[in-house]
Amino acid sequence: MIAALPGAILPGDFAIKESKLRGVDSQGMLCSERELGLGEDQGGIAILAERPAPGTPVNEVFSGSDVVFDIEVTPNRPDCLSHLGIARELAAYFRRPLSYPQVVANESSGPGGHLIRSVRSETEENCPHYRGYSIRGVTIGESPSWLKERLASIGLRPINNVVDATNFVLHELGQPLHAFDAKKIAGGEIIVRMARANEKITTLDEKERALDASIMVIADADKPLVIAGVMGSVDAEVDQTTQDVFLESAYFRSTSIRKTSRRLGLSTDSSYRFERGVDPKGAEFAALRCVDLILEIAGGEFMGHPLTAGEAPFTEKEIELTPTYVRERLGFDISDPDIIAALEALELDVTRLESDDNLTIRVGIPSFRLDLYRPIDLVEEVLRIYGSDRIPQGTVRCTGLVTEDNPITRFNRRVNTLLVGKGFNEVMHYSLRSEDELRDWFGHAQADNLALTNPLASDASHLRASLIPGLLDCLALNQARQNEPRALFETGRVFREENGKVYEMVSIAFVLLQDAPSGWLRRESADFYTVAQIASELLAQAGVGADPSKFTPLIAENAWQEGHSARFGGFKMGFEAKFGLLNPAMTKRWDVRGMVLAGAVYLTPTFLQREPKRRGYKSFSSFPAALRDLALVLPENISAGQVRQEVEKAAIQAANKQFAVEAVEIFDVYRGKGLPDGHKSIAFSIAFRSSERTLQDKEVAAAFDATCKSLTASGKYSLRA
Amino acid sequence: MEKQLQTILDEATVRLSELRSRPEFEQYKAALAGPNGSFTAVTKSIATLPKEERPLAGKLINGYKVQLEQLFQSTLQRLEQEELQRQVGPAVDVTLPFPGMGPGSVHLITQVREEICSILRKIGFTVADGPEVETEYYCFDALNTPQDHPARDLQDTYYLNPLASFGNVSRKADERYLLRTHTSSVQIRTMLEQQPPVRIIAPGRCFRRDTADATHSANFHQIEALYVDRNVTVKDLKADLDYLFRSLLGADAVTRFRPHYFSYTEPSFEVDFKSKHLGKVGSEWMEIMGCGMVDPAVFEEVGYDPNVWSGYAFGLGIERIAMTLYGVDDIRYLYQNDLRLHRQFI
Repeated sequence: MIAALPGAILPGDFAIKESKLRGVDSQGMLCSERELGLGEDQGGIAILAERPAPGTPVNEVFSGSDVVFDIEVTPNRPDCLSHLGIARELAAYFRRPLSYPQVVANESSGPGGHLIRSVRSETEENCPHYRGYSIRGVTIGESPSWLKERLASIGLRPINNVVDATNFVLHELGQPLHAFDAKKIAGGEIIVRMARANEKITTLDEKERALDASIMVIADADKPLVIAGVMGSVDAEVDQTTQDVFLESAYFRSTSIRKTSRRLGLSTDSSYRFERGVDPKGAEFAALRCVDLILEIAGGEFMGHPLTAGEAPFTEKEIELTPTYVRERLGFDISDPDIIAALEALELDVTRLESDDNLTIRVGIPSFRLDLYRPIDLVEEVLRIYGSDRIPQGTVRCTGLVTEDNPITRFNRRVNTLLVGKGFNEVMHYSLRSEDELRDWFGHAQADNLALTNPLASDASHLRASLIPGLLDCLALNQARQNEPRALFETGRVFREENGKVYEMVSIAFVLLQDAPSGWLRRESADFYTVAQIASELLAQAGVGADPSKFTPLIAENAWQEGHSARFGGFKMGFEAKFGLLNPAMTKRWDVRGMVLAGAVYLTPTFLQREPKRRGYKSFSSFPAALRDLALVLPENISAGQVRQEVEKAAIQAANKQFAVEAVEIFDVYRGKGLPDGHKSIAFSIAFRSSERTLQDKEVAAAFDATCKSLTASGKYSLRA
Repeated sequence: MEKQLQTILDEATVRLSELRSRPEFEQYKAALAGPNGSFTAVTKSIATLPKEERPLAGKLINGYKVQLEQLFQSTLQRLEQEELQRQVGPAVDVTLPFPGMGPGSVHLITQVREEICSILRKIGFTVADGPEVETEYYCFDALNTPQDHPARDLQDTYYLNPLASFGNVSRKADERYLLRTHTSSVQIRTMLEQQPPVRIIAPGRCFRRDTADATHSANFHQIEALYVDRNVTVKDLKADLDYLFRSLLGADAVTRFRPHYFSYTEPSFEVDFKSKHLGKVGSEWMEIMGCGMVDPAVFEEVGYDPNVWSGYAFGLGIERIAMTLYGVDDIRYLYQNDLRLHRQFI
């Protein structure tokens, strides 16, 4: 018996693991023939008739075992999608001779005549070349075991000898072929044409497929028989009753086959090769090789003289190359003979064109090398065959370039340093978010314009308009995992719609839980002013001076709590900041515990690209300032910023250019006893200073009085008693 | 008189030692030595003494005065000392943990990105930038990607709403907007803007329409490098990458070039590396990046003469490097942001 132990992987990627079966520990599996891919018998555990000693490795019992290499073939090398193609590469690399299959069949041999009347192509741009071969009197049956085993080893299911022969040649030479049962070709003619609207075909996988004019088919007088280069139909397939075989070998254009394959969502070994490009001149050799095989394993008579439509396109090219060019591109010495030997090893046709001491070579490119058409392409071939492991060690050659890192990068570095220095953790989230979230935060217009055409999942269908939702995800996750998050930030691109156009913006956003996780020492809670200041510091890194008296409250913004949030700047100015308390109704939806303070700065990339201005030095006075305090009583609805500006203006007027008003600072805000209802009191400290002299009490008093008078004159403000 | 003075001194010694604040002290001092103070009163009484006794009494009083002043002085010192001590507060337990915010942390992707930028800056590369939303021209056409290359498929690349127009992402014509699949598009934008020589790196976010798993992520970060000058060769590419990987992965890091295919480089290579520093991970060849010599077709597209200029380009995945360097075994952890990961790399 054969036991698969834990770690073994059986056909179909079935991995054997230790497990419990009906309560009993299982340490592997005894296998049937089917489970091992040895045969079809799935009746029970396979019994080894030779009775090898228990413990014999299975590979010693089945000595005919094979090694299968999985090879990644890059899209530029369709010529390697065959055993011959790979052998050609190996032969070149290891400098060994390559033996081609010997072909006996000959187009001019045979009795002549055809199983069908004619072959024609109605779509020469998609099928430039078509050849049809007639073989009569074949005996359909199982393929010999050598053929079945080879097909099985590369994962193909043997069908019958004729079909197996075509599949074998497809993989051997890379040329897809198709065998028809000649008697099923109605009207005795093969027409290569585009399908008609409403035509249908039932392909060999037993699916009915609707065709249209973009799909090329091989048809008889009545109906399409094959989706050209992709898959045959049940209507013309070779079966047990087939006696006469019509063998197709053609060159179909890659673009047409690719379109069809994608349109139908159907990729086959045949379409895969046509899509990437088969050898335009390979049809005849492959067909004859297949004829040989069919005659060998299915009998019958080759009638010779194929029916053809069109001609193999001319694709041979010649490239002129100098070894000097090769050495210049590679940057190291490689001799002329080495260069020529590498190219010749690849079956390229090298001719030396001597011209004094400057050797030029002409390189003939065979039809199957679709990827070689420029001298640089040959440089790569030389290096591949010479050996990329032989590129010598070099030293860094570096000349100075007078450029600086991009301003966006430098800005991001500065804000990163700033926030990390304040104890924030940097995090990164995906750029794609859900439509619902976007609508919740920003409304419909944004959501439509930020949509992807082809999202993979509904929670990642739109470009992000803000970094804050990701940060809330992160707070929620880390709270749930008891990681005690407090302060997070992210930098990245966000997208927003303005006047019908979407703009990519540089953004930086942060969140800060209002209350610190409880610890042994209680610290002051963060508040609006904490995050307003952080936002201002971030703006400062972009060269923007944020003046709190110009902050405006955020109103009716879903994400932000009214009365506790503000903005500065705007899209048109190239920068904008929003900051304050996030709407608790919103953050609750994220299952975030506690009030969340946040800030987000948005910058247009061009704003950051502007030339930095160097600030000039302003001299400062060496004389003392005269400070005066002023407490005003005013209605609640007047903002501190507004009244401060008015105080400043009044003081400047009062000083009348005799001396400067250096600062107007708010040092107290009072509400409550002693004030009329709906009023507050704000106390200012005004600093007067002259650059030329020490100010006299008298002139300061006069200026201060004038300031007070001008402020109270409007009736908006009164002096606090 | 002496007795009187001695009594005052004795009492002052006791009282002063009991004083706890400066005002108390000033008050008490005034009560003794002020104009109406008890000590002052005794000194004044000298006037009532016979003339011959006065010198002696004066001497006596002076002696006590000195003592009293010393007492005042030391009391004042003691009070100042105590006042400072009150301001300083009681001793702290130095072994308690920090009560404030913990230290900030820089995301691993940022750390690795900055490390690579700094290594490459030393050999003359500076950072260039381009948009994350790109167009088919900059992401594919200009990079010599065939029209029907699978990378352009809806299967593999995210496209934007065809009705949306972008205000600050320039288009060549009316090609489709997409999310860039590599930062190679920055090469094109840079070369269209400036003349050679060029030596830039473009770190940035890229997008592929992949289902997320341990090694795939809907977005990831790449660093693209482009060097264009006269006579840039394959040997230079290898030398510069050897320098990069030795700097990044340790002096014993070795690289291997495997021929490969990219539409915008010719020849093209995939690079494998090994490094003993990384233990088990570094013991086998591991694929780390793609690179090659800029394809002449790309130069022609941006208007550089391929007969004059040559160059190389390489692109590496930042997550890949970060995971290799730090042993993170699932790319999704880098976007999940469990702070237990970030806090390990402060």
